[in-house]
This record gives sequence, C-alpha cells and structure tokens, in this order.
Amino acid sequence: MPEANTQSRLWNLLSLGWLPTPVRLLVFGSWGICLGLAALVAHISRAPSYLSDDPEVCVNCHVMRPEYVSWRHSSHAEVAHCNDCHVPQDSFWRHWLFKARDGLWHATVFTMRWEPQVIKLSKRAEPVVEQNCRRCHEPLISFTSLREHAPGDLRCWDCHTEVPHGSVRGLATTPGYLDPSLPPVGPNTLGPRIGGREPRASGEGAGR
Amino acid sequence: MDQSQHTSQQKQWAWVGWVLFAVALIVTFGLGLLASSILTRRREALPPQPVHPIARWESDSSKWAANFPREYDRYRQMMDDTTRTKYGGAFPRDYLEETPANVILFAGYAFAKDYRQARGHVYAVEDVTHTKRVNEKTPATCWTCKSTDVPRLLAQMSPADFYKQPFAAFKKEITHPIGCLDCHDPTDMRLVITRPALREALQRQGRDPDKLSHQEMRTMVCAQCHVEYYFKGEGKYLTFPWDKGTSLEQIESYYEEANFSDWTHAISHAPMVKMQHPDFEIYSTGIHAYRNVSCADCHMPYMSEGGVKFTDHHVQSPLLNIANSCAVCHRWSEEEIRSRVESIQDKIHEVRGRVEQALVAAHFDVAAAMQAGATDEELQPARQLIRRAQLRWDFVAANNGMGFHSPAECLRILAAALDLAGQARSEASRILAKHGITDPINYPDVSTKEKAQAVEQLFVKGTPPNLLPTKVSGSPVPAALTAGP
Repeated sequence: MPEANTQSRLWNLLSLGWLPTPVRLLVFGSWGICLGLAALVAHISRAPSYLSDDPEVCVNCHVMRPEYVSWRHSSHAEVAHCNDCHVPQDSFWRHWLFKARDGLWHATVFTMRWEPQVIKLSKRAEPVVEQNCRRCHEPLISFTSLREHAPGDLRCWDCHTEVPHGSVRGLATTPGYLDPSLPPVGPNTLGPRIGGREPRASGEGAGR
Repeated sequence: MDQSQHTSQQKQWAWVGWVLFAVALIVTFGLGLLASSILTRRREALPPQPVHPIARWESDSSKWAANFPREYDRYRQMMDDTTRTKYGGAFPRDYLEETPANVILFAGYAFAKDYRQARGHVYAVEDVTHTKRVNEKTPATCWTCKSTDVPRLLAQMSPADFYKQPFAAFKKEITHPIGCLDCHDPTDMRLVITRPALREALQRQGRDPDKLSHQEMRTMVCAQCHVEYYFKGEGKYLTFPWDKGTSLEQIESYYEEANFSDWTHAISHAPMVKMQHPDFEIYSTGIHAYRNVSCADCHMPYMSEGGVKFTDHHVQSPLLNIANSCAVCHRWSEEEIRSRVESIQDKIHEVRGRVEQALVAAHFDVAAAMQAGATDEELQPARQLIRRAQLRWDFVAANNGMGFHSPAECLRILAAALDLAGQARSEASRILAKHGITDPINYPDVSTKEKAQAVEQLFVKGTPPNLLPTKVSGSPVPAALTAGP
C-alpha cells in the first residue's frame, strides 16, 4: 500500500498533477513544441552524423573546407581520416570525451561566428595530434628524432610544415571547390537546395 | 473537503507551471534561432553562383573566364606549343621524322602521310583542320573530341545523325577548341560526361555513368577521348571496343569478332587495326590507377596563387611540373624523379624500337613472298600474325607517355608483339623457301621519313621495288620475277 502511494506520488509529480489543469496543458504543450524543435535542430544540423568518422562530416559546417580539401589532395587521404589524427585513439573514454568536447566547442564557435580567418591547432589539441603522428610513424622516427628531441621540445609539424594541410590556408583559399555532400536533410520546402544538391536528372549532360 | 484542499494546493503551485511555461517559451525561441542560423549559414556553403551566368551550351571558354579567371588563365597557357620533355611535351613532334619505321608500318594509310603529336587542347580545332589525314571522305565523327561546339550539335541532332555527316559539313559550326563545356556542367561546374560514346560503353559494361564518384570523374572526363575507339559501320558511329573489357586481349578479341579492320596494309596486304591513344586503358593497369590516383591528380595538379588554391587547368606532361604533381607524393628532388621516369621510358622505347624493326622486316618479308609467287591463301597466317603483332605494338606506341602510364603492362604487350612479329617472319621465310628463295631478300632503305615515304608510295601505286635477291642460289628464279621495277 505505501509502495503504491509512493508510485502515485511520483506519477503525480511527473504528470504535473499538482498544477491546475489549464496550466498543465499549457506546460505540456509548450514543452512538446520545444522538444520537437530540438529534434528538428538535431536533424537539420545532421547531429547524428557527428558520431561517425566520415571526413565529410567535418565539412558539414563549411569553414573546415580548406582543411578538408588540402587533406583530400594529400597523401594522408589514402590512409588517415580527420579523426585518426585529431582525436585521441589510445582509450575509448578519452576518444569520446575529447570528441564530444571538441565537437561542442566547434559548434559553439561556428554558431557564434567566432571562427578566425586561419584556423590553427589549439594548444589542447597539439599533444593529441603529435601522439597520433607517432602512433603510425614511430618505427620510422625512433632512431632519429626521438633521440635528438626531448618530448615536447619540437612538434612534428614544426619541420613538416606542409603535412598535410599545407602552409597556405585561410577561409577563402578554396573557392569553387565542390563540397562532398551529405544526404539532404529534409523536404525541399525548407528552402531550395538546402542540405545538399538537387538530384540530377538521369542522363542530363549526356549531350542529348 | 479533500477535493477542495487539493484544488487550493494546485492553485498555490500554479506559478511554478507558469515559470515552466516561460522557460519552454525561451528555450523554444532559442532553438528556433539556432535552427534559422543553421539553415541560413548552410547557404554560405552552397557553390557560389556565377557572377556572369553561363548559357547551357556556351562553347566559348572565354565567356566562362569572367567567373573563373584563374582556371581560364592557366587553360590559356596551353597556347605554349614549345614545351618539350624527352618523349613528350606540347610541340608538334613529327612522329614520322623521329621514327621513319612509322611510315612503313602505316603504309597505305593516312598516318603514313602525316603523323604529329597533337598540341595542347586549345589547338584541337586548328590541328584537326590542318592535318593531311583529313580528306573529303572523312566523317563528322572526327570532330567529336575536338570542340566544345560538339555537345550542342549532339543535343540538336542525335549522335547517329551527327556522325554520319561529312567532316566538311560542320566547318562553320565548329570553331571553339576543347574547353570548359567538354568536362563541366555550366550551372555548378560539376564534372560531366558530355560524349555519348563513353556513356554507351560504360552502360554496355553494366556500369551506371551517373553514379561515378568525383574522383572517378577526374579520370572519366579524360576517358571521353583518350581511349581506343573505332567508327562502327556505315554510319561511322563512334564506339569504344570495351564490351569484353579494356585490356589489350579483350579489345583484340572484340575486333576479331567484329571482323573489323581499318585498312589493308600496302606492303604486306595484311588487314590492319589502328590503335588510337588508349591512354585510359593502359593507365587503368598501372600502379597509379591501382592507388586511385586520377588523371587530373598528375596532369592537372593543385596549385596556389596568392592565398587561393585551385586546379591547374594547364593540362600537360607532369614532367613539366614535377614539383606540383609527382613530388606531392614522391618526396624526392625533381632531378631524381625525372631521371627515374626517363629511365623507365628509355627501356620501353628500346623494346618498342626492336618491335618496330621486326615488324618492318615482317611486312617486307610477306611482300617478298608475294613477289616470289605466294598466294593470299599461303600468306594468310603470316598476315594474321602481323596484324596481331602490330596491334600490340600500336597499343603501346600510340599511347602517350612512352609507356610510363603502366610500364610493366607495356613491356608485356611489346614482348608479345615481338614474339608474334618473329613468328610472322619465320612463317614468311618458310613460304619464301617453298618458292625457292632462301637468300636474304633486299630490304629497301627506309632510314629517313623521305626515303620511307618514297618506298611506301611505290607500294601504294602498285609498282613495288624488287625485294627478291638478284643472285639466287639453288633453284632457278621464275622469269617473271627477274624484272626489277
């Protein structure tokens, strides 16, 4: 009996039974709209795609385009994706915590339009990237630089300045580059061409 | 009683409900702002609309230049027709002068008259108009790969109707050389296949030409033209012989089944097939294709100008731009890269030269056997061997890049060509011996273009020089054969 009482109390609390009925309807209704909108935001921002390792996801907000394009044209494109270098790979928890924190920070910067003309590696990300350089290249460097340089003395890219994004970079460096498009996010009523290109009619451009 | 108490308690807490409502209001408002921001900023990522809109069939590349000045400027660099590499470059290299054997190998065919390395894309219309290979019998099919005016004409009439007209019919319509419209969609600059022959060849192979990735398209736009092709049937329908596949053996077997030949050789009377720059097919068997490196990656590398990076539209030999093409992956000095490439090309050039010598001799061997009285029936096996050998030699020789697109495959094909040419020669010797000729025959002097063309003309006119040895040991020479030219 007391158990049932607790249950009904909890139910009363959650179902806002302690509020007058009109206010209850108003609160439920408004939070429903709010959650729906949150779901819409998650959808149009392609939030679920951020859980993947696709490099195309990183150019979802186009300010990363020069980084994407320079990587795509580098020899690293054959063997390493964005996350292979920019997210810790040594433990599951560090991987996902770093990815979540970095991702939310990126989203904030993008939303608030804080992005600089030239995007540079943050202090926090430096050891992560360096460790990932070493993860693959350790056998090659162990005899030379590891002996010559104390850890943290120099970063790999202090000498390998062009790897892989090049030394000439900025938001305006790759005009006219065709973005790899993620799948469209919704019906075209949201605006023509939003979230991807219009589907090409088959055979168009075939010369007839 | 209990009920009224409950109601009064509800009224007491009503303000909390209103606070929750207000919070939901503010959060919804904020989320709406965020959604609108995301959608607005997504528009920033859309490809920039051309400042000067480009017409659907704009064949004049200079009209595209207003929107893409850097690309156009680099494209115009192809006007330079003086660049040279050891085996290539953009200057009009005379293949007949350089390799007089070509005259003999193409005897009776237009390539014996005039065979030059094509200059850059910007000269395509000029070069095709001036080559001596074009005459009044030339079909309009020859225009297909030369001009940005062709996609428009193919759209106005069907490809079949276009191909079957004479070449001269379009001299006024076709004025713009290979340019923007040949590879790009004017609305958004996407790469597109504008020539039906490639689409049809892919479809016959069961591949969907609309589902190629961007990286594949960076090769496929080149494969619209830099491939082996032939003019099928009376309608001269441009066709790629790829139904069985793109390897040499598959292409050869396609032609055997189609019983196709381009011309009958003037010296040996063998039924010949001319191979046309099978660059794509050879490249496909090489290490760069295996590693998914596209044509554009080497021939149109990325370049930067000021702070802007873009694709270099000066299409040229990577050896003229080693730093931007090869050295992006092969981190050695330019000199080292060049010498590596040239040492590979030298080897292929050497073997190719041996095949040429063997083939020239084989053609004359068969001609000598004809002079000794051999019948077509007797010579059929030797001629078939010559056809197969020369088809292989040409597959490598007509390919640009002196075999570098796939060195191992080229040497494999040349080895087969050398073997087949040797078989043809031993078969011809057997027939010669059967007709009483066992001494070496007289091979005419074809050491220069002029000498070779003079000899070729004698065969074309039906007054060949006497190839049979004048002093014959052993059996008597038939009286008919002792008279020289």
